[in-house]
Amino acid sequence: MSDLAIDIRNVVKRYEEHVAVRDLSLQVPRGSVYGLLGPNGAGKTTTIRMILDVILPDSGSITLFGQPNTNPGVLDRVGYLPEERGLYKKMQVRRVLSFLAELKGIGAAEAARRIDEWLERFSLKTADKDWGESKVDELSRGMQQKVQFIATLLHDPELVILDEPFSGLDPINAQALKDAVLDLKRRGKTVVFSTHVMDNAEKMCDSVCIIARGEKVLDGAVSAVKRGAGARHVALSLTGGAQNGVSSVLEDTQLVRTVDDNTNFFEIELAPAADPQKLLRRLIDAGANIERFELVQPSLHQIFLERVGAQGIETGMSGHG
Amino acid sequence: MDKKVFIVAKREYLERVRTRWFVIGTLLFPAVIAGFSIMMAYVASKGGASSAVRHITIINTTSTDLGQRVADALMADTSVAGPDTIKPRVLNVAPADLAQAEAQASSEVKLPNHIAGYLVLSDSTLAGKSVRYAGRNASSITDMDKLQSTVRQAMMMVRLQTEGVKPEIITDLTKTRLRFNTERLSERGRTGSGQAGLFAGLIVGVMLLMLIMLHGQNILRGVIEEKTTRVAEVVISSVKPETLLAGKVIGVGGVGLTQQVAWLAITAYLVSFFMPIVLKGTTVGASASANAAAASPVTGVLNSLTPMVIGVALGYFIIGFVFYATLFAAAGAMVNSEQEAQQAAMPVIALVMSAWLCVNPIMLAPTGKLAVILSWLPWASPIIMPIRMGMTTVSPVEIAGSMIVAVLGSIAAMWLGGRIYRVGMLMYGKKPSFREVAKWIKYA
Repeated sequence: MSDLAIDIRNVVKRYEEHVAVRDLSLQVPRGSVYGLLGPNGAGKTTTIRMILDVILPDSGSITLFGQPNTNPGVLDRVGYLPEERGLYKKMQVRRVLSFLAELKGIGAAEAARRIDEWLERFSLKTADKDWGESKVDELSRGMQQKVQFIATLLHDPELVILDEPFSGLDPINAQALKDAVLDLKRRGKTVVFSTHVMDNAEKMCDSVCIIARGEKVLDGAVSAVKRGAGARHVALSLTGGAQNGVSSVLEDTQLVRTVDDNTNFFEIELAPAADPQKLLRRLIDAGANIERFELVQPSLHQIFLERVGAQGIETGMSGHG
Repeated sequence: MDKKVFIVAKREYLERVRTRWFVIGTLLFPAVIAGFSIMMAYVASKGGASSAVRHITIINTTSTDLGQRVADALMADTSVAGPDTIKPRVLNVAPADLAQAEAQASSEVKLPNHIAGYLVLSDSTLAGKSVRYAGRNASSITDMDKLQSTVRQAMMMVRLQTEGVKPEIITDLTKTRLRFNTERLSERGRTGSGQAGLFAGLIVGVMLLMLIMLHGQNILRGVIEEKTTRVAEVVISSVKPETLLAGKVIGVGGVGLTQQVAWLAITAYLVSFFMPIVLKGTTVGASASANAAAASPVTGVLNSLTPMVIGVALGYFIIGFVFYATLFAAAGAMVNSEQEAQQAAMPVIALVMSAWLCVNPIMLAPTGKLAVILSWLPWASPIIMPIRMGMTTVSPVEIAGSMIVAVLGSIAAMWLGGRIYRVGMLMYGKKPSFREVAKWIKYA
């Protein structure tokens, strides 16, 4: 029994024009929430598809729960919500769900019982309306997303892989998804999701892996990643924004290496060997109206920008993640 | 084999069989075919002539009883439709009074609800040269055929009588019905009626063609639906694309087979139920032979269907469907919309039609070079072979060889189609060029 839900070793996937994934290795511990981060075109979806044996890697190995992912039955323990979502439109909701569950090795009778449970939980089946009897295309977009999510979880998978799960969700459904992910974690399941929204990842993940241009930039527990980046960051809030000479202070390369300017809030990375006290004095001298000045660990977003940079978002790479 | 194949096949089968169009198509088609064949049999049994051929005036200017004989023959003919209360009127006139009689008759034709026309029998008729008819139904081919044959027969009888032949002998001589029965002889002896064998082969060929055109394209549409709704990715994360493809072919093939068995059964039932009712009006005299004639193609076809023939036909049927269904699925996987699908399906349809267009030349020469060559081409043999086997004796070696090649062809189609399908199912965006598809096949 392996402690790793996913173990990817030296995986390479080449296409004619470009290398989608080069020499990628990553380990996802069982029971963790794992974020696969990267800009569009970084190779996230390609990696996920290789995990699911939808496409074959050119070299390297992928094991799930200690077995090669090509072993029969291994993928029945995985639930997958692809970025491109969709169901058979003309089919009855209940029949679609039953079909997808049967493909994962659940018997028709057992599937029917679980479908009722899930439809009730997502209020798709109430005393006066059972949407399970309707055809998929009679459902609203939000309801279809719920059905798709049910399809991902119906066979009670040990590993749940969500590709860009937050894209296209309204705030209410996004919150429901976060709750669902945390519920899965409480029940000891492993959740892997890809996203390019760092905020979600920082709040939810135990561990992350940042990939860009098909290569791993860094990975590890979120706390370790942040610690590794060092406390060379300053969170600065100004009332009324950067007025007077404040801008020129922030542009001083002796003190400041980079600054993420959000008008009233600034995340500052100090220049090597710069003294934060000196920066504070200079800001006061410049007449800044300081609301907050705090030495902090960098946000994932900041780390991402630092490590991947604007050039990490490679242009001309069509396709998904 | 992966048992998930059957889960996929079950879905494909049930979702299609449940649709309204399947039910309508399954019931309507046999109704149309049965109605058409009963109508044809009815027309054939009636000889096609209407009661108008009796509703005439016969002007006889010969000094014989030719006019009355024609009238009697028309009344005795059971193949003429309608009641026998309407009888031809016979006018025996001198040649000099012909013009007046004709003017009288022609004015009667013009009256509403009166005679349909008039027939002029002259010495020229008796000499076997000409007979004249004028009437409203003069352009009806069946009516004119009936009159012509009746006059010819009556004229023969009169002439024979004039030559001094005994009346009993004349009746015996002229009342012959010649039926042309064919029987196919081969090295193995009698193998049933020649026409029936061809008929059975053609049925297999036509049904396979319909199966390919209707349900092969059904697969194409199903694949595009899975692509455009993006459900493909979820499904492919649970089953291998090859399994999905195989399940589709089995499921949709099952739908086609169900429909065609239903078609055959319903058509056979409707024909056997309604045919006697419709033909009841003619159950006098010629009825026995008419019924036998109507029944003979059916019994003939049944007789020529030995277990061997059924087995071989079914084998080709399945091989042919698998071959084309896989190619249709691959075509569907290459494109992103219904509109593009028509274009993608064209090469596959062209392949089917190229085989189908050769059916006619092959029926004319079932042992010719073209027939032999096509029997060895996997995309043509499933259509061509059953027809050839129906018409002539094909050596078991040739059948076995052709089948092996067809099976190999289907395996090649599955390999090729499976690879295109595997890559194509997850490719969105612009339609790939042939070079790109070639790459898919290489990299899959």
